[in-house]
Amino acid sequence: MTPTLLGRWQSRLLLLATVGLLVTLPFSMGWIVLGSYPVFLWVLGYVAVFGIGWDLLYDYLQKFRWDRDWPAAFQLLAGIWEAIFILLLFKTIGLPGIARTTPIGWFALHYSLIWLAVFTMSQTLMRVVFLRSRFRGGQWL
Amino acid sequence: MNPGLLQIRLRWDDPATGERREPILSVPIALGREFAQMPASLREQRVARIMLDSGQVSRFHALIEQDSVGVAIADQNSSNGTFVNGTRQTRSFLTNGDTIQIGPYQISVFLDIQSAATPIGDSTILFHSETDLPVPDATSTPSESTPTAPAARSNFPPPFFQAQQVSMRDLMDTELMVHEFDYAAIGAGLGSFIWVDLLRLCGARLNQVVAIGMEPQPYARYQRLCQNSQIPLHERLRSNSDSCPDNIWGFPSYAFRESWHSFRQGQIGSALKYLWQVFAEPTLAETYTPRSGSVFASIDREAQRIGWQQIFRYGRVLSIRQTNDGRYAIAYSRSTASHREHAFIVSRYLHLATGYPAIQFLPDLQAYREKTGDFKSVVNAYEEHEHVYQKLEQYGGTVLIRGRGIVASRIVQRIYEARKKNPHISLLHLMRSPKPQGNKFGKAQRQVKHHYEFQPFNWPKACWGGEFRAVLESADPQQRSRLLADWGGTTTADRHAWQRIVQEGLNQGWYKIAFGEVERVEQDGQKGTITYIQEKDFKGKTQLEADFIIDATGLDAKVNANPLLEDLVTHYDLPINALGRLSVANDFELVEMRSSGQGRVYAAGAATLGGPHAAVDSFLGLQYAALAAVDSLVSTRAPNLRYLNGLTSLTQWLRWVTNQAPNQP
Ligand SMILES: Cc1cc2nc3c(=O)[nH]c(=O)nc-3n(C[C@H](O)[C@H](O)[C@H](O)COP(=O)(O)OP(=O)(O)OC[C@H]3O[C@@H](n4cnc5c(N)ncnc54)[C@H](O)[C@@H]3O)c2cc1C
Repeated sequence: MTPTLLGRWQSRLLLLATVGLLVTLPFSMGWIVLGSYPVFLWVLGYVAVFGIGWDLLYDYLQKFRWDRDWPAAFQLLAGIWEAIFILLLFKTIGLPGIARTTPIGWFALHYSLIWLAVFTMSQTLMRVVFLRSRFRGGQWL
Repeated sequence: MNPGLLQIRLRWDDPATGERREPILSVPIALGREFAQMPASLREQRVARIMLDSGQVSRFHALIEQDSVGVAIADQNSSNGTFVNGTRQTRSFLTNGDTIQIGPYQISVFLDIQSAATPIGDSTILFHSETDLPVPDATSTPSESTPTAPAARSNFPPPFFQAQQVSMRDLMDTELMVHEFDYAAIGAGLGSFIWVDLLRLCGARLNQVVAIGMEPQPYARYQRLCQNSQIPLHERLRSNSDSCPDNIWGFPSYAFRESWHSFRQGQIGSALKYLWQVFAEPTLAETYTPRSGSVFASIDREAQRIGWQQIFRYGRVLSIRQTNDGRYAIAYSRSTASHREHAFIVSRYLHLATGYPAIQFLPDLQAYREKTGDFKSVVNAYEEHEHVYQKLEQYGGTVLIRGRGIVASRIVQRIYEARKKNPHISLLHLMRSPKPQGNKFGKAQRQVKHHYEFQPFNWPKACWGGEFRAVLESADPQQRSRLLADWGGTTTADRHAWQRIVQEGLNQGWYKIAFGEVERVEQDGQKGTITYIQEKDFKGKTQLEADFIIDATGLDAKVNANPLLEDLVTHYDLPINALGRLSVANDFELVEMRSSGQGRVYAAGAATLGGPHAAVDSFLGLQYAALAAVDSLVSTRAPNLRYLNGLTSLTQWLRWVTNQAPNQP
């Protein structure tokens, strides 16, 4: 993958707002466990907002690579790191919308599913629907 | 001796195109990136100023001067330094045969200007105008392929083709066949196929489109070049998993397809390996590349699906002219060995994808061939040269390879395989100079091992769809040649198998790497060939004896090597870019070919290098160019074309998956 900064931002926001939301709804609407859990929507929001910043860092790191590329494996590592970051924040200083008591297991399950869905979509449907985006570093607009 | 008159010869290959430069210059010589920043004169002597276009070169980088002791090069406080024979120097005396490295430029120095002279002459191998095979002897090409001299043998194209524009009436009056189309692809190779494929996806009907070329399979020439350069069907190309000439979406990629295939055969291990490769490449796993056979098979399927056999028309295009109704007239020959036939096609939109104009051949090897008539011992890697391996397997012998790109790697592998049948084969790899360090760009540097420079593909990956694509597209012509010099150069792929072979060969002594500038190559009775190397410091000359010499250096040539393009360029006075290729707009249009009407001409492939895209000569680059050209056609409301938006793209993809034709015939 050879994303550009604009491409990273655009794909991140698009995919989180679509498949990310689709994965989150069953959690937040209580279809999995009875009740209403807006905390999952907050998590989704944080992944998007912090991600805008992380993308700046990834884009900077990419400049040290001769091919200016970003292996899919790095995307996985980045995903793990972003999860740990959010987890640390809400467990220590706390994040608005996410109670400190939120169980790590549920967070991890929800986050992993989002990551997997976003990654899969970026490699499949995204290419089909936005066929020019792969020539533009992931930009679809 | 009058110090002002000392002349030396510098020689280097342009890092973007591989083209050889070899000026003779009077000392002092300034080297740098900006002409105006270099001194015009020094101590009342005129300075020869050489521009080296690269971001790694400082504006005034180094100065070659003569003093009472000899000729020396002095670095002018450059940011990236001046290397002499691989060592960074602020000032160093130069001796004959030294190599100076400045940024991506490797410059050889000859103080003895006579002896090093490269034989002059046109050292390219042309593709035969009837068989499309590489023709060893440039002079034997039949004259019919030279449209600039059409009257020499036949009166076709007719005399009215000398005019700027031709009329339909003129064409009809010849009583030859005239067919009309909306879209015509010239070449019918991979670039044409990819463009036609996209036109079909966007709605073009079969009877609107024609592709004129010499062989019905779009990959015919490509497959031949692959096979000659030692990529048989089961071997892997140097191509990304999602560079699929049969599928504009790059999904499912070749790795997915191969993985699925292995999975169905119960080879779970291989299936997982391919997926892991595309997940982790190139840092944690070796880059996945498809087998050439799989790519050809996928093209066959797509050709069938889009109706290529109805679109393809056999013919050799001799000349193209504007018509006075805003279209283009194509004069082509359908002649075969047994009969003569000429015809015209008139089309509103054209796409030129005629591939490599010619194969480059090292001038000293070309001179050898011309002098001796021996086309068996000295071969080009892209020519058919199976006899070399057969002879080696049978009798053993020594092979000398020139060049250090991917083709050289493949030949090393082929020799390694031959050695299993006959261990009395040794390999001498002659390189012009050591490669102490790889190209640099920004914060990154290309990796070097055993004097081979590594890169997964022929350009840095971001040239196709990443940051570099955008940077190059928005650069001006001058910046473009600088960027191409920085990113270009000869590289090979970092494959474990090849590195093992090289290491093993070096350890066991049957593989040797030698450095030097070739002065001449001569025939040596029964023994084969002798290559005379220009030795440093006039200490004597090294001679390398070899039974065979394989030139694995290059393929590209300027557009004027292709008679059709040369005719077009001279007739319409088309602009040529800094690399000697067709100058195209960002949507790959040859804007100067527009006339009064709606007609448009686009180009793709090696003939457009130096323009908006670096990787023009690759599957994905051809797809990029096709997409740009077709989107531009859609915006001019070309007949029946619709923009491929999210929905139509998805529909077309589903048709691809289910192997249904793109639309009504
Ligand atoms: C050995 C080798 C390996 C390569 N491997 C890869 C790879 O792995 N991945 C990748 O992406 N790229 C690869 N490439 C680069 C590139 O993708 C191919 O060269 C590709 O074939 C280029 O397509 P093209 O349409 O420009 O030229 P071609 O496919 O060569 O087609 C041009 C056609 O035009 C015809 N033609 C020329 N003049 C006329 C005329 N006057 N009238 C009629 N017909 C004419 C020719 O006969 C030829 O058939 C490789 C190239 C080579 C040589």
